[in-house]
Amino acid sequence: MKRNNKSVMTIVGLAAVIGLLVFSSLSFGEEAYDEDTYGPKAPILWAKPLKAVAFYHKAHTMDAGLSCDNCHDKIFQMAAGTAEQEADFTMASLYKGKYCGACHDGQMAFASNTRCATCHVGVKGYNKLTGAAPQGKAEGKH
Amino acid sequence: MKIDDFEKLENEGADSLPSEERRRFLRFGLAVTGVFVGGSVLSLTSARNAESAMGPVPVSGAFPYSPHYTMVIRQNRCIDCERCMEACVKTNNVPSYGYRTTILQQEREIGKGVKERVFMPVLCNHCNRPPCVRVCPTTATYKDKKTGIVMMDYKRCIGCKTCMAACPYNARYFKEENRAVDKCNFCFDTRISKGESKTACSAACPAGVRIFGDLTDYSSEAYKLIHKPEKVVWVLRPETGAMPNVFYMND
Repeated sequence: MKRNNKSVMTIVGLAAVIGLLVFSSLSFGEEAYDEDTYGPKAPILWAKPLKAVAFYHKAHTMDAGLSCDNCHDKIFQMAAGTAEQEADFTMASLYKGKYCGACHDGQMAFASNTRCATCHVGVKGYNKLTGAAPQGKAEGKH
Repeated sequence: MKIDDFEKLENEGADSLPSEERRRFLRFGLAVTGVFVGGSVLSLTSARNAESAMGPVPVSGAFPYSPHYTMVIRQNRCIDCERCMEACVKTNNVPSYGYRTTILQQEREIGKGVKERVFMPVLCNHCNRPPCVRVCPTTATYKDKKTGIVMMDYKRCIGCKTCMAACPYNARYFKEENRAVDKCNFCFDTRISKGESKTACSAACPAGVRIFGDLTDYSSEAYKLIHKPEKVVWVLRPETGAMPNVFYMND
């Protein structure tokens, strides 16, 4: 086979395009989730005062366009699980504008007394996200 | 009574049947004859009365219940905290392999690619035409004439589980400890008959999902909720004809 500049350039060009496609991202149209920019990928699970609420940073930072200091540290602490330790982490506080209620008041985002199951994943969601076995089910033979 | 004692009893004979019983039997027999001859139009007595005379299944209007207990479930508020299930288990000694009330989950599409999560509490609906009462061979389950609650008499249950198959809502389970089928009875023996106004699940719910009340009391919250003209109220599986007594709404 004759080796000339044209065929070498073709091979190099093809390799570059393939390499770009393979290493760019997992799927087209999506950028990779950067935890430093958008916050932790895993949901924050609150099990107090009741099971359970799942908070996804992605929905707020990447999809809705909020930045870190929109919530941290005035409304929420950076350390995960701080909010559920507070005694006033109840829906009543949210209706008064604390915690999530700072934005979820019906104006900036959906009101916190609507669409309950959007955030409240319940015991089933809690078990699914923590990988716990379901309680009280007949196992083995029926 | 033991079977030996039964054998020792004297045969009363048919002479001492009360007139009420005889009339009931005749009424039923004539209604059946009428149906065979050519429909209820030709029967000598109304077939409807006969149905209520002969069977345990109530016909509409047959027994006005007072109080008429019901539960209104505001489905949009349920968040599956399952405090109701825990309270029920604790109050009524429900074993871990069965349930008197449970919460179902559904993720349904409400738009293009947009999904919403819905939690639906399910319990015995205390139907007005209960399929379980219809199929019970021993009348171990019956609709209480005074309160409208579908009750269980554990002593009569033979564990055939036909009622479990008949229930459209899977509300019954076989309890090994009683060797009988068990189900929600609106906490009648554990709370309501002792003066409590709410069932255990209704009292435990933090979101006000389960409203237990008396439909004959026009000032009760349950009555007011299902009589709001602008609100859609539905029941589960109405096509079974069971006429359930538990109402669902989004409030």
